[in-house]
Parts: sequence; C-alpha cells; structure tokens
Amino acid sequence: MTLNAALFLDHENLVPLIEELGKTLEVVAPVYAEGEPVFATWKGEPLALDADNPLNSPVEFFLPQKEVLFKYVQCSGRYTFQDVPPKSRLILGMRPCDLQAIKVLDEIFGTELPDHPYASKRMSTIIVALNCTSPGERCFCAQMGSGPAAEEGYDLLLTDVGSGYLVESGSPAGMFILRAHSHHFEEALPEHLKEKERLLSLAEEEITNRRPALTPEEIRRAIDETDWGEVEKRCLRCGGCSLVCPVCHCFSVMDRGVPDGERLRCRDSCVMAGFSRMTSGANPRAALGERLRHWYLDKFVYIPEKTGMLGCVGCGRCSSVCLSEIDRWSILREAIE
Amino acid sequence: MNQKSLKKEKRVRSGTLAGKGTDQMLSRYVPLQAEVIDIDVESSNTYLISLRPLDEEDETVRLDYCPGQFLMVSVFGLGECPISIASSPTREPLQICVREAGKITQGIMAARVGDIMGIRGPFGNGFPVDKMKGRNVVITGGGSGFATLRSLINYIADNREDFRDVTVAYGARTPHDLYFTSEYGSWQAAGIEVGITVDMMDASWKGNVGLVTSLLKDINPSPGTAALCGPPMMINAVAKDLVSRGFLEPDIYISLERHMKCGVGKCEHCTVGHYHVCTEGPIFSYDVVGDLL
Amino acid sequence: MEKIHTTCIYCGCGCGLYIHVEDGRVVGASPSPAHPVARGRLCVKGWLVHDFVHHPDRLKVPLIRRGGRQVRASWEDALSLTAKRLKEIKEESGPNAVAVLTSAKGTNEENYLLMKFARAALKTNNVDHVARLCHAPSVAGLSISLGSGSMTNPIKSLARSDAILVTGSNTTGQHPLVAAHILEAQSRGATLIVADPRKTQIATLADIHLKPKLGSDVAWTNGILNLIIERDLADEDFIRERTEGFEALKESVSKYTPEMVERISGISPEDLEKAAIAFAEAPRAAVVYAMGTTQHSNGTDNVLALANLILATGNVGRMGTGINPLRGHQNVQGACDMGALPTVYTGYQKVEDPAAREKMERAWGTDLPSSPGPTAVEMMEAAEEGLIKGIYISGENPMMSYPDREQVKRALESLEFLAVADIFPTETTALADVVFPVASFAEKDGTFTSTERRVQRVRRAVSPPGEARSEWRVAADLMKRLGVDADYSSAEEVMEEIAKVTPPYGGISYQRLGISGLHWPCPDPSHPGTEILHQESFPIGRARFNPVEHQDLELDPEYPFLLTTGRSLFHFHTGTMTRRVHLLNRERPRATVDINPEDAAALGVRRGQKVVVESREHSLEIEADVTEEVPKGTVFIPFHFQEAPVNLLTVHNLDPKSKIPDFKRTCVRIRRADS
Repeated sequence: MTLNAALFLDHENLVPLIEELGKTLEVVAPVYAEGEPVFATWKGEPLALDADNPLNSPVEFFLPQKEVLFKYVQCSGRYTFQDVPPKSRLILGMRPCDLQAIKVLDEIFGTELPDHPYASKRMSTIIVALNCTSPGERCFCAQMGSGPAAEEGYDLLLTDVGSGYLVESGSPAGMFILRAHSHHFEEALPEHLKEKERLLSLAEEEITNRRPALTPEEIRRAIDETDWGEVEKRCLRCGGCSLVCPVCHCFSVMDRGVPDGERLRCRDSCVMAGFSRMTSGANPRAALGERLRHWYLDKFVYIPEKTGMLGCVGCGRCSSVCLSEIDRWSILREAIE
Repeated sequence: MNQKSLKKEKRVRSGTLAGKGTDQMLSRYVPLQAEVIDIDVESSNTYLISLRPLDEEDETVRLDYCPGQFLMVSVFGLGECPISIASSPTREPLQICVREAGKITQGIMAARVGDIMGIRGPFGNGFPVDKMKGRNVVITGGGSGFATLRSLINYIADNREDFRDVTVAYGARTPHDLYFTSEYGSWQAAGIEVGITVDMMDASWKGNVGLVTSLLKDINPSPGTAALCGPPMMINAVAKDLVSRGFLEPDIYISLERHMKCGVGKCEHCTVGHYHVCTEGPIFSYDVVGDLL
Repeated sequence: MEKIHTTCIYCGCGCGLYIHVEDGRVVGASPSPAHPVARGRLCVKGWLVHDFVHHPDRLKVPLIRRGGRQVRASWEDALSLTAKRLKEIKEESGPNAVAVLTSAKGTNEENYLLMKFARAALKTNNVDHVARLCHAPSVAGLSISLGSGSMTNPIKSLARSDAILVTGSNTTGQHPLVAAHILEAQSRGATLIVADPRKTQIATLADIHLKPKLGSDVAWTNGILNLIIERDLADEDFIRERTEGFEALKESVSKYTPEMVERISGISPEDLEKAAIAFAEAPRAAVVYAMGTTQHSNGTDNVLALANLILATGNVGRMGTGINPLRGHQNVQGACDMGALPTVYTGYQKVEDPAAREKMERAWGTDLPSSPGPTAVEMMEAAEEGLIKGIYISGENPMMSYPDREQVKRALESLEFLAVADIFPTETTALADVVFPVASFAEKDGTFTSTERRVQRVRRAVSPPGEARSEWRVAADLMKRLGVDADYSSAEEVMEEIAKVTPPYGGISYQRLGISGLHWPCPDPSHPGTEILHQESFPIGRARFNPVEHQDLELDPEYPFLLTTGRSLFHFHTGTMTRRVHLLNRERPRATVDINPEDAAALGVRRGQKVVVESREHSLEIEADVTEEVPKGTVFIPFHFQEAPVNLLTVHNLDPKSKIPDFKRTCVRIRRADS
C-alpha cells in the first residue's frame, strides 16, 4: 500500500471501522436527533451522512459556543489556574466547506501567537471529511472555491461513489489509520476514481447553476453599492448569521464566580451593537448597517488580505438562519444589477 | 493532527514578558499575577496603581515593554480589560492608570495594597521611539489618554539627549481632571516644554483655558514627530493642526482606544477597518488611520 | 457532545431548539430546522438561551429564614415547614387565607400539580399566575365573543395572510419568530398595518403605520369597523350564518366617524381609511395583538373591539385569518390551560360548575372548594389587608412584575408565611420564609404550550445544580405532606393524569409530541390536533358581537407625560435569566427612559443624562434615551431592570372585566436629576 493510494471502503465496513477508532477517540458524526441531522458524539446510532450538512457546523468542536479558558482558585490571596485539557476526537463527515473554514481559522488562530484553546483541540482531532456528492439547496461552495470537493486539510477523505466510499489519506495520521485498520479496506479501482470525478463535477455544476458566481471585484463593488441602511431596517438583530457561520470566530470573555470560578469565552457577533461599544458608550460602528457592512468586508476583504483565503466558504448557513430572510448572496447580486 | 497550516508562531509584539513559557501563558489566556504595591489618587475617578508582577514562586518578574503598550488587566470574577501602561520602562515599578468607566475598572480601583490582580501582556506595538529619536517631539493628549503619553514623556526624560525639542501639550476638562500634576516640574527640569490647559476653569486656576492646539506655538516640524492620545475629536483637530504646520502625516502617531477581549488579535472586538488595534496598534500613524478616526 | 431537542424558555413562540451538552454542562444552543415555528432560526435570546443555566448565582440549596436570615436547610425541613405553616394558617384562618401563585415559566405538569395542590390539598381556589398581568383580557374578551381565549390560528397561518393588523405588539422585538412569519407574508404581497404609538421596528416596516394616542384603541378600531360597514365591505354571509348581535354593533360604531376618531386618537382619516380598506378587502386578514392592547384599564374592551373587527370581516376559521393574542411567556397558555386561574380547573372547566367540580373531586378523590378565588393583584391587596396570610409562589417575581412595587412589598412582608421556588435569587425570594431551589428548563422534563396552543416537549439535558429539584416534585411532595395522594414517578405520569381530566388535552401523550408537538384541542389519542379554531362552529354556537365604547381617560396636568412600559428585544420579563446572559446584558446593560426629542429639548435633557420620573406617589431616577421611537408626550421604560424598577410608578388601576392592571398608561412628570 503506497502513501497516496486511494482505498475503497464498503458501506457496511464504515461502522465497524469507526467502532474500532472509537475505542481510543470520541467519535463525532452527523447523527439524527429527533429526526434531524446534528453533529454529536456518536454512540452507535444510525449515521446521517446522506442528510444535508447539519445546520450547526462541526467547527464548534474547535471553537465552542462556550468554553472554559481556565479555572481560577484563590488561596490565601494568591491564585492558581487550571487548564481544561482537550479531548481526543475524530470528526466524521466534515464537509469541504467546513474543512475550508478550519483552514481559514488555522491561519487566524494557529499563527502569530496561536490561540491555545483552539490549537490544542485542533491538534488532538482527526478529521475524516466527506465530499459533497449531493449538495444542499443553500450551498454555494463552488462559487467560493471551497467545495464540493475537498482539496486538503483532512486526515482522511471519503467520497460516496455509490457502491461504497473511496477513501483518500491527506496526512500521516490518516495514513496511519489506513494502515492500522487495513482489514476494512480494499484497493480502489479506476472506476471508483472515475465515479468520484463524475459525481463531484455534477455536484459542482448543480451548485454553480443555482447561483451565478461573482468575482472578488464584483463582490467588493457590491459591498460598496449596497444600501446598508435598507438592510438595517429589515434585520431583526438575531445575530444568527454570525453565530452560525463556520468562519466567524469573534468571541467575548467573561468571568463566572467569586472568589473561585471560571474564565469563559463565548462566541460573539460583530453585528451586535455592544460588540464594538466601548465602556465610555462611544461606539465606532454605531449603526447596525455599518456593522453588517463590516461583516461582509471582513469576509470578502479583510480575511482574504490576512490569510489569502476568502472568509466565506459558501455553506449558506447565514442565509438559512436569517430571521429576516435576507439572502446574503442575493443582496450582493442585487446591489450590482 | 493535520498540522500543515498551523504555521510556526511569529513574534509580533515588540516587548515580551521576561521569563520562561510566557508566550504559552499569553496564548492560554492565563494571566500573570501582580500584586498591588501602591495606589495614588490622580483625580476623583482616576487612580495610578503600581504593580509587582509575580512568577509562580512569588518572585518579582520584570516586564519588558515600551511606551504606548498596554496590559490586559483582570479582576477575577469581574473580567479583564485593556489598560495602558502609564510607567516608563526606564523606571520601576510597573504602573497602570485606571479611570472608572465600567464594572471591571471599578473592580480594579477597589483593590487595596497587597491585593492580586491578573495581567497579560504587554500588548500592542508601542510608540516607535527609535524613529522619534533625533527629532523634535510634540506630545499632545487629552483626558485619560494622557496615561500612555506619560510613559513616553518619562521615557524621553530619562533618555533626553536622544531627542531634540520636546513639547508636551495637555488638556483636561477641569483642573481636577489633570493627571500627574506633581511630575510637570520634573519634566520641565529635564528640558521638556510643558503646556497645560483646561476646558472649564475654577477659582483656583491660573493657567490656560481652551484647546490644546492653542498651546502649540513654537514647534518645529523639521524634523518633527508627534504622539497623540485622547478623544477622537481632539486628536483629529490636533493632527490637522500639526499637518498645517508642516508635520508629515506618517510622523504623527496616534494611540487608539478600542473595546478588547483578547489582546492577541483573535477576538475581533478592536478592529478598525482591517487593522487589529491590539496587535497592529494601538499606535498608528495618521496617514494610516486618519480616515478611520 | 450531545444535542437535546427542547423548547425555548422565553416568549410564547415556543421555538424548538437543541441544547448542546458536553460533560454534563450546557455549552450551546442551535435552532431546530424541522420545528414548524423555528424553521432553523432563532431570535437573539434563543441563540443565547444556554448561557444562564450554570450561572453561579443559581439557587442550589433550600433556604429557611431563621432569625431574620435565610440559612441553608434540608429539603425535608423546607418541605415540612412549608406544609406545616400553610396547614396551620388554613386551620386557623380558613382555606382562603392561603394562596398559590404558579408560574408561566413552569411546565404544564408543574402548573397542574400546583393547581391541584391549591385546590385538593389547601382546599382553596386562590390560585393565579402572571397571565393575569398579560392576557386576562384576552381570556375574558375572546371567551365572550368566540368562546375561546386563545390564538385562533397557528403562527404559520400568518405567513399566508393577505392583510395583517398588528396592534399593541412590538412583534419584531418580543415575538421575533412571529414577526418573521408576518414579514414573510408582507414580502409575498400582504399589507402590513401596525397600530402603535411607538415607532417599533415592525412599525417602520409597515405599509400603514397608525400612531394612536395611548388609550384610544376602542375608538380607532370602532372607526375602522364603521368605515367597513359604511362601504359595504363587511362579510354579510359570515355575519348572518355564524354570528349574532351585529345590528347593535353597527349602531354603536356608526358614531365613530373618521373625524371623531382623529379627534380621539390622532389618526388621520386618510390613514384610517387606508387601513380599513386594506383589511376589509383582503381575502384573508388577521389580527395580531399583545400587551399594548390588553394592559389597559379597558383591556377587555380593546380585545372585544378587535374581535368585532374579525367577525365583521369574516376572518375566522380559515388559514391566514383569525385573532391572535401573542403570549409573552413560553407557557402562559399552558398555565391557563392547566387551570392555574382562580375560576377554572384544567381545560377551562369552571369551578362553579357543579358537574365539573364533581368530576375533579372524583378524579382526585377529595372534596373541592366551589367559590372562585381572587386574582393575582387582588391577592396582593388581600395580603396587605391580612385576609391572605400564607402564599406559595412558584418562579414568579411580583416585586418586579406586578404594578405598584411598594404595595407588593408591603403585602408580601405582612404575610405570616411565604414560600418561593425559583432558579435564581430574586427580589421576591429575598422576602421568603422558605426558598426552594428548582430546576431550569434545561434540567427537567415536561411540556410547554406555546402561544399557538402547541403542546411541546421540554427535555432534561443536564442535572439541576446542587440540590435543586424539578418543581413538579416539590408540588407532589407538599401535597403528600397535606394528605393528598401524589405518587408520581415522572412528569410523563403527570401528563397522563392531565390528559384524563382535561378534554382538550385528552389525546396528548409524550410519545405523540416529537419535534412539532400537537395543537389542542386534541381530545383523543387518534386526534391529529387542531391548528385552526372555529372552522365549523364556535364553542358557544354563534360568535357574538360586543359593542364597546371609547372612554375618555383623565389627564393630570401636573403629570403631563404618559408612561408606558414593556420589554426590550434583549431581555425577558424581570431579567432574572437574561440579565445573567453575558451578551444580552452587554447589549442592554441598563434601563433607560425613552423620551421624544421634542420633549427632551423642552426638558433640557440629553441622551445619557439622569432624569427623575415621578408619579403621584413615587419617583425613579433613570438614564434618558432620546429617541423618535416614542411620540411626543409619551415615555417608555422597560421593566427588566431591578436598578430602575418601573413598577414603582405603576398603579393598581384594574380593568373591571379582567382585573388586569394598566401597565401601559401612568401619568408622570419628568425633570433632570441635577435640577
């Protein structure tokens, strides 16, 4: 077996494989909770790999909605601090869009003074990605260059080619798994590889046909020309777009407990008024419209400047959770049409 | 375990905590403990607090910082907020100047000598003192922004021969709101021109009344540089005034104030356009942030 | 990480959401895509609903007052003492000297058992809850006109309306998921009419924004009816076939000419006409209202006027139509359904009806009192007078939410015994002799009934903190100590009993609820539930028109401003939970009084300055916000903030028909704090 060889995994062998991996790692996978797909700890229930990508991104396993940064304990006037060790996890079924989000976050959280809580979780997590052969209604990953096929960033990559999964390794850890559990795999056949290409190009076509692409210049122009005051009027201020976005990573920090307690961080949202408001009451981005514009600028201008990658992965979650049904892609198109 | 894109860390801060493993502490967000060793009342709502940073063995840690940098200061149970360093690295002890604004600053000001608070940092770029050397320096501030300028003024006073003419123009709302009044004499003694003004005078006030720009009379722009900190309106007015006198925009340094949570460029609270004030600032040159003020 | 499907704890929308649990701790929440109301969306409070659950302030152990201080006690002692003291008071002063206030935050199961505790164990009908302060006029008014006091239609029905009249509801702020459905209808072409003196977000989005003066609702509603009848736009077939009393209505509204309406309400004849025509000509029109309609001393009349409007236009019993009172608590509908009211058992079976009483006596195996009890605010008056001596309060905070805070304080302090169950210490638990720490929504099983009569599951995701317990267990334990059989092993078992004695809940069982729940009436296990009420007939046969007249309200020249109260988007009710949610409290950290710019200029007040708002009896210092959101002459203060409890200023000005206090109209004056 060579390092870059693609293998084939029978559908029926997936569960035995993750059962074996689950002996040493917590397996996180899309499962059905009351009938809906969600990423949660897998306990042997049916997998929801065929369902749409869950509404809540598995990025929350690296950047949780709320997590303990450290605990502080006071003892005779001095403090001691306790870290929360990361869990060893395997995330099964992460889609290319979310994988791309992790790549962007790695640039932001993993470099220049790496964010320890993020980096430690990242280091102790194995990602088994799943290519999107049947993209969801809301998706525009192809326009953002982040899907429907994953290029890199995974340890293992699955593509459902009908008769089973084509399995590719993207890291030494992935390779190790393939070797250590080789009894579940067969050599992939050329037709498996061909079928992968065919299915993914069909998927890409489907996605691009649904929403025409915009060039980065068009997006920039659209942001400038959008009437943010009008968008502000409609926005119901739920913050959902930024709370559900896999690339959004704003956080706030709070203490809970005196004299002993925890310093926690929670996901925050730059579209909320208090986000940039200073204690003096002055707010550099006082109007909601300005904040919504900033949200777009961050995704399409600032993050690309910083990381070389778009801050939007085209998962479409922001539009689908928008209480005001503001389609994030359409308003850009409308602005330049 | 895919570490491909987890690049090796780059040092972006110009100063660091002395001692081992501190970078990891910063990225873990775990603060260093610091003991309050002195508290001076600067005005009714502003204290100058002297701190002794401690390591795990309770030994004093020396902080390596430069003027214009800031600390994230914690009161456990209330939280953490950015506070400018008010002392000069040329002098001990480490000092922060805290003005009552919200719950956390109230908590800091409630501390007594001997109490512990948390500090992380120093953060931010600080004033480019090397670029200021050999030039005439104008230091202008208003309100609580003067704390960070005091760090620079004392730094200059202690390295006076490195700089040419140095002028301080400081404005406050009332005579009671003036900080560091006991130090003006020592600055003058070090050969620094000091001008003070207030917006509203009271019976005891014999000094200037009006805008800080009125204090800037005989300043020489070539080769000139300026350090500014204060309310945005004032900064803008001063910067424009300096430009009209021939100062170059890239030589005018402005210290910005923003809401912050992490200090290390992750939480996004402090962004101004695509800049992070915590890592790329808080000191920006006027040509960079003039439009964003 | 586990994700547990449950129902949001805040407003009446009843959104389905997932609670994310890691190592026994709630660490997040996300919307449920398959839930019919949430549809994969939530408001800001919903997204952040997880944050208060493990707050260190949670009550974790029972407390008993000893020597003026509340000290830690065992459950056994707290329960025994409560049972003993209530029993003593009952034996000394009669059963009507004790009372129970249940909670719209509690589950149906908890409300049912507390109601049973009051009636079967304490033998009193002195039981009420916060519905008295919100939709008592809806229950009173709609029962008379339609025969049922709840929303006639489901929330999704609003998305299919052709015209929607929203009145007295800051829907975008208080029921954002309902607002989303309304705005969906508007984007489909429906006409949105908003009547609100405040310029709320939904008002700014409206096609027609009527800005009536406070207290003129009957006048402009009658004015619209008058125009509709005059223009022959009334639905004569519907009126003939399904209603009675139209002639009297026609006669009564005829005097409400556009000119008269303008005089009373300030609404221009043009706007009134536009609204009347848009509403009447729409094939499917709906009315949505909330506290701005009910919390008045003529709240029931306001409701009756709106009921007249939908009846006259035949907008009942079909998708896209109806009269829809929006409930402000996730289970205020359920608490009413469970009979946590002084007049009825579950399913609105009247205590005064001997047949109903006999049925409940048989079911519970004990005799029951027959005379209705006083309402919540009346209880406070009775307590101050010494008529009520012992109260059990479940998760309510009357010190913040009831009118006239000083009176409430006097009332609660004059009690011989007060027991309070809550999740956090509140201004009310501070006055208690016994405090029970109870489970939050994330820590218990049960059901909530949302504003649209949807009975839904709330599922236990984590253990309660410390020694806290689900309140259904507290109620059962107290009942047992007072000699009533109450051996329930689970909340589900309580629901089985509810289904047996409550006709509209007859077909409700946990197995059937799933993600979407069931709309009551659901009389039997094979019944699919009832989304739309009154499709074929009304419970009272024919619906009744009830003519109502505008009453001029006196203005007090010395107190020239009208103070109105309400909520902010970012907080819920008395703030017990949301003030402890980091981001919500950051968004709205303190109370402000909203003042119109013209008034502010006249008073010399700038944004951020402190002002003193004074009523005849009390005054409140508070920060001013200067905003066009309020019209000239009106000021607004939300009631979430214990630092500025606006109910110091409100008074016991009760609607005679429903006993709701007037929270929306208090005469005040304002001055700068430094003057």
